[in-house]
Amino acid sequence: MENKPKRQNYDFGKLFIATKSFIDTYNQNKQDIKERLNANHRATAELITRLYAKQLNKAIQLGDTFENGTPGFRTYNPSLASCKGCTVRTIMNHKERLKAAGFIIKEVHHGKSGIELWINTEIFSERVKNLHPLVHVQQEQINNNRNVDMLITSEEGVRPQAHQQKDNYVTGTMQEQDMNTEESRISDSKSQTRCEKNLSTGESESAFLLHLVKDFWKYSKAVLYSDILLSEPEENDILNQIWASVYRKFKIKGSKKDWKSYQQILYKRVDMVSRWLERNPNRWIPPAHLYFHPENKKNGFNRTYEWFIKQETLKRNIRNQILIQKTEAEWLAHHKGEGKHKHKSRLQLFSLQRKRLVSYGDETLINAYEQSLQRTLIKLSTQ
Amino acid sequence: MMPTNLPQIALTKCVVYFYDGRSRTFYSFDRSHRNSKPNKALGMRRLEKMLFQGKLKGTWETAIVYENRVKGAELAKFKNGVRVS
Repeated sequence: MENKPKRQNYDFGKLFIATKSFIDTYNQNKQDIKERLNANHRATAELITRLYAKQLNKAIQLGDTFENGTPGFRTYNPSLASCKGCTVRTIMNHKERLKAAGFIIKEVHHGKSGIELWINTEIFSERVKNLHPLVHVQQEQINNNRNVDMLITSEEGVRPQAHQQKDNYVTGTMQEQDMNTEESRISDSKSQTRCEKNLSTGESESAFLLHLVKDFWKYSKAVLYSDILLSEPEENDILNQIWASVYRKFKIKGSKKDWKSYQQILYKRVDMVSRWLERNPNRWIPPAHLYFHPENKKNGFNRTYEWFIKQETLKRNIRNQILIQKTEAEWLAHHKGEGKHKHKSRLQLFSLQRKRLVSYGDETLINAYEQSLQRTLIKLSTQ
Repeated sequence: MMPTNLPQIALTKCVVYFYDGRSRTFYSFDRSHRNSKPNKALGMRRLEKMLFQGKLKGTWETAIVYENRVKGAELAKFKNGVRVS
């Protein structure tokens, strides 16, 4: 594999400083206090900057070089509103003020796919190389040592997720700062009819599914076809092939969560292909339009599903072996009067182990445990 | 059978500049069978195949694929056997 050029990311710190200095400069020129951008406008500007930088960094991570100019910030008004904890109207007003100030230079409405904002190039002019590839996004990491926002929940015994939704301390509205790419349902006004709501849900669903196909192709292109050049019609043709073969034309109904987990499996399969190619220089895969062709039964991408199943089965078998070995060691230690279970009875130890293994939800594991238990107990009784 | 009005119905065309100084325009054949829907990508792939594997192999210096309409955009450019855009 060729050495990939080091990617330049947008640094959040520098962007925030640029945003702050931009707004400060704008405010200095305004005598009337009403004409100035207040702290609330500033917060919206910072939110837009942060999410835009995150979007761009993700695109850079997927191998986008922005040769045809930097793309705009794709988002939804309701989504921004739920992130900031305010209404959609407020976001629209803030955008108007920021446009007047020159922070937002252009806005394009894409209907069901949301809006696209172009931010002043002064702010997004500088890119840095300092991001370590293993660190996802520096500023998004949660500091577990801090006192603020610690793992304390209102419900006792409930541990929050790593990317938890945070309350806005002012309004108490739920925030979804890491989920800005999808349309939020929070802003559906009461005046809308049920029919209209259903329609928009279907539209956002199709936009979401389209994103899945595009993201998958972007990832596979970066990993498997990094050196090929394709024009727009060729890319569209490949996207159609992927839609038909990899996603089966979305005929199988599933929730967004299901599709996201399927997407993760697909990424793993692409990584498997990449590793398979790296292991031997004589190995090859056909061009993208053939590799993702639905009729390609011989050397198409769909065959990697068997690889994935095989890998997962192997992983499960190894995990089961380790768990069984652990139980056997516990029985042996118990027999010798050692270990942490030495004061437990045999029945107690059995029920403890069985409970632990049942939690994995694997029937073969339980069967293997029962067989190993018989073997171990016979062995111990003969000693 | 190859249609006679290919320059009118083709979705893309390829202008080839040969080493000997001549140039010639080739039009894409975009259908997989007579009644199929025209596929621009298929036509482009066939043009590329003509350049790299067909009769023209090794005879051209530059080849440019355009959309076959007035002021059609440039879709691909090949120079000395390498795709450059």
